[in-house]
Amino acid sequence: MKRSLPYLLLAPALLFTAFVLVYPLGQNLLNSFRAVHLVQGTGGWTGLDNYRHVFADREFTLALRNTAGYALGGTLLALAGGLAVALLLERATTRATPLVTCLLSLPWVISPVVAGFAWKWMLNDHFGILNAWLAGAGIVNPGTSWLGNPHTALLCAMVARAWQFYPFAMVMFLAGLESIPAEQYEAASVDGASAVRRFLAITLPNLRPVSSVLLLLGVIWSFNDFTTVFVMTRGGPIDASMVLPVLVREFSFVHFDLGKGSALSIVIFAALVLLSALYLRVLVGRERA
Amino acid sequence: MNRRLSIILLALVTLVVLLPFLWTVATSFKPLREVNRYPPVWISPSMSLEPYRDMFFYLPFSRYTASSLIVATSATVLTLGAGSMAAFAFARFRFRGKRALLLLFLLSQMLPGASVIVPLFQLLRAAGLYDTHAGLILVHTAVLLPFTIWLLHGFFTAIPVEVEDAALIDGCSRLQALRKVILPLALPGIGATALFAFLGSWNEFFFALILTTSDATRTIPVGIGQFVGEFEDVWNQMAAAAVLFSIPPLLLFAAMRRTFVRGLAAGALQ
Repeated sequence: MKRSLPYLLLAPALLFTAFVLVYPLGQNLLNSFRAVHLVQGTGGWTGLDNYRHVFADREFTLALRNTAGYALGGTLLALAGGLAVALLLERATTRATPLVTCLLSLPWVISPVVAGFAWKWMLNDHFGILNAWLAGAGIVNPGTSWLGNPHTALLCAMVARAWQFYPFAMVMFLAGLESIPAEQYEAASVDGASAVRRFLAITLPNLRPVSSVLLLLGVIWSFNDFTTVFVMTRGGPIDASMVLPVLVREFSFVHFDLGKGSALSIVIFAALVLLSALYLRVLVGRERA
Repeated sequence: MNRRLSIILLALVTLVVLLPFLWTVATSFKPLREVNRYPPVWISPSMSLEPYRDMFFYLPFSRYTASSLIVATSATVLTLGAGSMAAFAFARFRFRGKRALLLLFLLSQMLPGASVIVPLFQLLRAAGLYDTHAGLILVHTAVLLPFTIWLLHGFFTAIPVEVEDAALIDGCSRLQALRKVILPLALPGIGATALFAFLGSWNEFFFALILTTSDATRTIPVGIGQFVGEFEDVWNQMAAAAVLFSIPPLLLFAAMRRTFVRGLAAGALQ
């Protein structure tokens, strides 16, 4: 009894994890090697056909490129914004600082659906506030469509994504800034180092560990992000902002090709395992340091 | 950079960050003819609560709200039950395979919904749970568990083993010690974890979108996400829905900060 107690305690959680992790991965693998149709049901084994169809699909190549750009671009933007706001918060400490930090964190607290909705409405071609301002200032023509334009749709989603992720980076950077020993700055001031020089030589190197964790986490999360793109553009116009998670839905539940959807899921999973392995290495490296 | 300039800059940045919220809130009080007006106005005398009423009247948001409450509450209870048992096992026992299992939970948290959705859909359909609250509750519980276990693990480890040993010496069984000594001490932490879990399920969009299809089972985020495509002309009602839907997360966020501080203070006092 005593020896089996921890396993008994773990049993319910393990059952649930098997239900979302172990079983689906196995089933996905099986699906990916056979013809599975949403309506017609499971057909015969087809070898690597599903994978071949995925890799030959123009939508896939486009979505892969878009996802990489979206994840990396959005995360870098969020890190730059988070760091800038953290530095500003540190410099401008007042009695209102806790409240301001709270307000600045709101995009992280809010549901991604609401975030996508709010941005979509703000960018609305005719009645959105952004176009009204830009057109008022003579920068763009009234009625400019940001989400309907293949060149700007993904970029808009990326900005919205960065807006949602930056508070997390801000909070992490704030903690990182606090942990920098004051002596380092004092020594630099004695040596007559300029503010820019102090930032480059002390602040940035000290924030490196935090930044690498943030970068990887941000890329992993944005890589998995379905909601922002789906709500804002549904991957359109004409696939211009298609990303991999939205494409899985498209293959599986719009084209009803569950086999192809499963093959794409396995490809996404493989990419995620690589990114997670990298993340774990960075974490372990940090603990050793 | 001088301090006053920093403060002014920070105020500006805060305004820019809040802009999408402010614009949505302003829209949620406007009548339709003012929503569809160019150039747009922020505030007008004809603002009212009408869009909030219309949303419940014309759009099925009362059903969505009921679904969201049922799903999030049930998923929170299930997650906390299974999660606190697992976290306690990790925090207090040495056993074979512990590291591997911890890693399994960490990895399952990284797992994208898109890479498991097809089999989950097949399974729920075969079990007759597709488009039911029960099906979505099970999926949400499973998705929330890893994070819950990690949070609770931290809270349980913070409770000194000595407290538990004392209970054992006094004649409690291991499970009695968990129930009578550890759980009460961990209560603030468990409360905070419950809020996180509730929020996670309340905000979840991907699984809810794909695993439900009828108005009776759909949750609020699916309603908002769907309507953004279908009913673009009623921006004010959708904004009202988005605002109402955001109130629980905002309240929980405010409460959570205090709970965390209280939890930490309680931990420091021992």
